[in-house]
Formats: sequence, C-alpha cells, structure tokens
Amino acid sequence: MLTRRSFLQTAALAAVPASQPKRIAIIATVYRLLSHAQHMGDRFLTGYPYGGVWHQPRMKVVSLYVDQKPEGDLSGARALEFGFQVYPTISEALRCGGKELTVDAVLIIAEHGNYPRNEKGQILYPRYEFFEQCVQVFEQDGRAVPVYNDKHLSYSFEKARTMVDAARRLRFPMLAGSSLPVTWRLPAIDLPLGCQIEEALMVGEGGSDAMDFHALEGLQCMVERRRGGETGVEAVQLLEGDAVWKAGDEGRYSKALLTSALSRSDTPLGLTVEDGRTQDLVASGQLQILAKRPAAYFIEYRDGLKATMLMLDGAIKDFNFAARLSGVPQFQSTQFLLTPEPNVTYSACLMHKVEEMIESGAAPYPVDRTLLVGGILESCLTSKLQQHVRLGTPHLNVVYKAPQQSQFAQA
Amino acid sequence: MRPKLAAIVTAYFKYSHAQHIVDRLLDGYGWNGTHHYPPMDMVSLYVDQTGSNDLSRERASRHPGMRIYPTIAEALTAGGSKLAVDGVVIVGEHGKYPRNEKGQTQYPRYEFFEQVVKVFRDSGRAVPVFSDKHLSWNWEWARKMYDTSREMGFAFMAGSSLPVTWRTPSVEMPLGAHIGEALCVCYGGVDSYDFHGLETVQCMVERRRGGETGVQWIQAYRGDKFWEALSEGVWSKPLMDAALCRSHTLAPARAGFNHVFPAVEDMRRLVKDPVAYRYQHADGLKCSVLLMNGLVRDFNFAAYVNGRSQPWSTQMYLPMPDGRTTLADFFSPQVNHCETMYLTGKAAYPVERTLLTTGLTAAGVESIFRGQARYDTPHLAIRYQPAKESTFWRT
Repeated sequence: MLTRRSFLQTAALAAVPASQPKRIAIIATVYRLLSHAQHMGDRFLTGYPYGGVWHQPRMKVVSLYVDQKPEGDLSGARALEFGFQVYPTISEALRCGGKELTVDAVLIIAEHGNYPRNEKGQILYPRYEFFEQCVQVFEQDGRAVPVYNDKHLSYSFEKARTMVDAARRLRFPMLAGSSLPVTWRLPAIDLPLGCQIEEALMVGEGGSDAMDFHALEGLQCMVERRRGGETGVEAVQLLEGDAVWKAGDEGRYSKALLTSALSRSDTPLGLTVEDGRTQDLVASGQLQILAKRPAAYFIEYRDGLKATMLMLDGAIKDFNFAARLSGVPQFQSTQFLLTPEPNVTYSACLMHKVEEMIESGAAPYPVDRTLLVGGILESCLTSKLQQHVRLGTPHLNVVYKAPQQSQFAQA
Repeated sequence: MRPKLAAIVTAYFKYSHAQHIVDRLLDGYGWNGTHHYPPMDMVSLYVDQTGSNDLSRERASRHPGMRIYPTIAEALTAGGSKLAVDGVVIVGEHGKYPRNEKGQTQYPRYEFFEQVVKVFRDSGRAVPVFSDKHLSWNWEWARKMYDTSREMGFAFMAGSSLPVTWRTPSVEMPLGAHIGEALCVCYGGVDSYDFHGLETVQCMVERRRGGETGVQWIQAYRGDKFWEALSEGVWSKPLMDAALCRSHTLAPARAGFNHVFPAVEDMRRLVKDPVAYRYQHADGLKCSVLLMNGLVRDFNFAAYVNGRSQPWSTQMYLPMPDGRTTLADFFSPQVNHCETMYLTGKAAYPVERTLLTTGLTAAGVESIFRGQARYDTPHLAIRYQPAKESTFWRT
C-alpha cells in the first residue's frame, strides 16, 4: 500500500537528473493537421518561435496515445519521424510499454475528434477519463509528474474538481486552459494587480462549449487580478436573444463598456464587410441587427463584482475585453489576438507556459482559474437549459490568487 | 473651432486607401478604448476616378457636410475663390494609372500636391497636408514636394502605416541605440510593398545614435542573385531568421505541419521571385529589405542593437482584410496622427523619413532596372532627427 510519505520519497528518488531532456507523453483525442494535439504537440517536436528565436524545447516526446484515428491522422507518421511510439492505451503510453511510469510530464490534449454532446450542448471530451487513467498510473507507480490539460478540465465541474483535488493530493503541478490568457494583446496591457474593478465585460463569438470557454477564460484572467484575488462565483445566468439587448437597456451591463470592448475589434461584420467602413456598432444599432442570436453570460462574484460575457456571433469575429476601474476615468480595454491559421502562434505562447511548468516543476498560473471557468460555463449552460434562470453556484467557491507576473505574450 | 478638411484621392472603393483613411475621418474608429469621432469635419472631396465600385457618392449622401467637387481647386476652395479648409488629405493610391518601363505606377501624388499648393499660393495661406505612402514615384518630384512644404512653411506628413501600427512585441528601438545591421522580412511587390518594408526599417534605424545621416548606395538582388547573396552572407542570415521568428504567417515548409522553420531549400521552393534591397547609410549602417512572397504575409524587423549578439526583433502588425480582419485598422494610428497635425499644425513624425524612403524605393527600382547594379545615391544625403516620442500604436 502506498502511503503519502512513501509516495513522496519515491517521487524524489525517481526524479530525472537535470541534464537529461525531460520525457513527455502526449495523450490526445486525435492528431491531425490543425487539431490542438497537432499544433501543440508539434511544438515539442519541431520547436516554435519564442522571444525572437526558433526555440527548441529541451524535451523529448517519447510516447503518444490517440483515442481516434480519423482520416488525416498523423500520429503514426510523427512517431516514425521523431522516434517515439504510439501506444494503444494511456497507461502504456505513460510507461512507454514498460512496467512503470517513465515520462516526466503528460500533455492531455482532448480537443477535436468525434464525441457526443449532452443536453446542454457540451461536447463530452474524455478529459476527465484520460486524466483519471494518468492518475491511476501515478498512484500505482508511486510517482507523479506535471500534467497539462488543454482547455477546460471537464464539461463537469464535479469531475474537474476531482482532477484538481488529485493534483493537490499527489502534489503534481497542473496547468490547464485556453491560449487566450497568454497570447498577444492589442494593446499589450494587463489590469494592475490589486485594482478595484467596477465592471468587466468580454465579447466573443463562435458558439457554445468551444469558443464561449475561451471568452470566459479571457475574462477571468483579467478579473482575477482584482483586489483580494479571486473569491469564487455566487450566481450565474445566461440570457439569449432579445433578453440580451433588454438587459443592456436596463443597465445590467454598461453599453459604454460594450462600445469600449468593440472598439478593440478588428472584425466588425455587416456594413464593414459590405463596403469597408468603420462602425460604431452600439450607437448605430447595427449590433442588434448583426448579432441575431446573442447570448449573455452574467457572472456574479462572491465579492460583489459583476462581469458579463457576450457572445456576438454575426457581429464580430474576435475576442475583446473592457473594464471600468475605480478612480480611473478611462476604460481599460484590449483585444486578445488570435493569430491566423495555420501558424496559430498563440498555441506556441501556451506551450511555452507548459514548458515552463515542466522545467520548473511549478505551474506559472493557477489551475483554479480553469477550474472556475469550467464551472461558470457549465452553470451558464444549465441556466440556459432551465429557461435562463439565475442559478446560485455555491459550489463555485473557488478561491485563488492571480500570478504576480503578467503571463501574456510580451517578449 | 473644428478644423475643416479636404480629401484629394485617386479612387474611393472598398479597401482602397482612400476608403480606409477618409472613412475614419467621416465615421470615426476605435481608438483608446472607445469609438472616436475626429473633432474635425471633412467638407470637400475630390475623386480622380469613379468606377462602378465607387463609394464616394454613398459617403457624400450619408455625410451631407461633405461635398464632392470636380476639381482639386474647387475642393480646396469649397467652390469659392480662396482656400476654405484647414487641412488636406492626399491619397494617391489605387485606381488605374499607367506603369512605366521600370514598373512604377505613376500615381499622381505630385500632380495633386502641386494643385493643392497652387491654391495655397493663390490664397496666400497654407495648411497642413498629409500625403499617403511615398511622396512620388519620381524622386525629383518628391524632393520638390518636400522643398515646397519647407519654403511655404506648412506641416507635411506622409508615409506608410507600418511605422505607426501595433507591434508584437510592443517594443521601440531605444533612442540613441547603436545599430550594427538592420533588416525587414516582408512581402509584396516592387514599387508597392517594398516602400512599406523600407519605412519599417527606417522608423527604427532613424532612432540610432546620431540620427539619420542619409543613404549612399543601394543594390537590388532578385531571383537567383537573391539566393546567391543569401549564401554569400550579404545580409546576416541570423538576423533574417530572427525576423522570420516574429512572423505570424510563415508558410509551412512541409505538408502536414502548420509551423516549421524553413531551411534555405524550403525558402527557395516557396519564394518564386525574391527581391532584396541592400543599402548603406552615410554613417556606415547597412540595412536590407527582403520581399519574400510565398514565405510570409507580414512585416518583421530585426537588428543588432548595442553590441548584443542576439538580434532585437519585432513584428509591425498589419492585418490585411483577408479574413483575419474586416477593417485594416493599422490606418487608425495613421489617421490619428493626421488629426493631431490638423489640430496642432505640427507633424507627429518627420516627413524626411518618407522623403528618404521615397528615394530608396525609386533607387531600388532603378537598381533592378539597371541589372541589379549597385546604384549610388548622393541625392539621398538626407539628415534628420527622429521624433523623441514613440509614435507607434500602444494604447
């Protein structure tokens, strides 16, 4: 029987000497061109641009597990070219076919692939299931290694909570989430740590349970920097359609703040697409015409902060944030720059953070952010399912502190 | 008093420069976190060519304060006898104009400018002028435009939006830096985007110790000569690599990969018609602009700064409306600097930069025309000091 003490001792003994490149296992749903697994996993194979040089991580991918091999699957070709194995199970990948854990880090990239949706519209990616299998190996082999989990931890907050608890229990660093928090920003600003936020608003697009998660994480990485740190969320509500505009008329979110966020957009649609003109979408009323199926995600934090995320499909095609701070007359606003395909350089920004965690053994920012955001998203989708009711979220008492250092791309 | 403006443009259609620039003055634009409406009025418009895709009439009907006039003089005098505006915007980009044997499109920027200054002279009053892109395809005319602005003492701004757009990362060349060598890897054609590449380099290197000293010679390398020059180390390969590492649009060198660093063989395969301009400043600084169509679709700068062996680099972020953006918002900081000029009567950055890059563009074309021979440029002994304040988009 493995006690916590013997577990930690084993962990210390099994640590790889610093001079050896760290060995990585990638656990993916699919590995085909422009899937997350490919553009993130490849960074460890072919390197990526960072800080003005082509940076080659001092790490080696030694094993890969892919859950599905659709047309265009690249897993076999990559394994052949870069000298690693594709294993039929997660445990074999983590043990490289042997008897015990032989990797120094695990990347779980369970985005893309063919998985069912539940009644809330959430895609049931098996992130929790993949993670559990990793944890099982960690526990059986008496050693745990850093884990990166792409995007939200799980569609279910309960499962996500179990994942974070396991990381805490087995004391391995864990990083998760979207690339939005770490990509370039236009302008390159962060909210001052410890600022007092009066109101925060995020705009995004691209549909539910994929892009709404990104938008919510963009919002969260900003508001978590407020005075007192993150306190958790008391209630959420998701409104759709005309109710979104009505909420704006009633002052539930500030239209000036919405104008501010939209002023950062490079992609107003409608008349801009028609003849190139610039648009003041809120003042002109075009926003309501263009965003035919708007959704508003209202978040009431436990310390009283209210934040809103608006999904404005049809009106814009990028992600922009605005906030009003106490005692600061001008709004703080920025665009989270999602750089174009195929390079999607934002994923290099994110993989650099993963590399940092693997090298240092500490996550550069708390996984609690992603835990909370996943929970906010799940509850918002529950609100949607339950006739857009305001839902108390006592379970979202996720308390954490933002990292001291800004984490977005600036180098 | 809100300044009154006249716009003198070649053509006004979707995504033409005139549309981007004049629309921002008419409809406002996102700036400093709000939708900014310029505190000035566009009252007159002259459009040289109006095809089936013309938008000027739609704009005039939506903005009745702006009238379209059949001549430049009438636009500037609002149909009267004397200058009736407080600022002029000249956009001589796009439209159908002849190309000469050197491949230069003969946009009538000089001709427009001459007609503008004629009104100034006749009225005994001159107002600030912005002229988009390089001053003229013809160096002598460009020089005359500059000299006229100085003789008559009006504020004059010109150039590309590259110097003033966002940068990733958001960094500025330290004022007074020692620069060992500088280059820009970009894309586009000769007598077109080469000018943007030259402005990208110039807005950085003008900040070096001693300021700008002018350029002594330029040499173009095209096709095979480009690859020979690369292998001979005419420009620094590590510097070129550093610039490529700033790109967000590096063409994948291999099928099945989204982002790999290209070997020289890959570059040769991807770039069918590479062009390099290599030129030397009077203080010895050597710079290069590398047009690598097929490899990148952005503007990336790298330089050796203050003796450090690792290159200093950034990207001038210029998203073209090709799906990434619908707006071409890099025009916003350019228009904002124009507004400042119309309000204060002072140019935000020296027009000498664009005088020099205009001369370099023409000299680069000349070098290509003369069989890629080195072309001496004693006429480009242009000395100036940069703006002390950074003027790129950061807020």
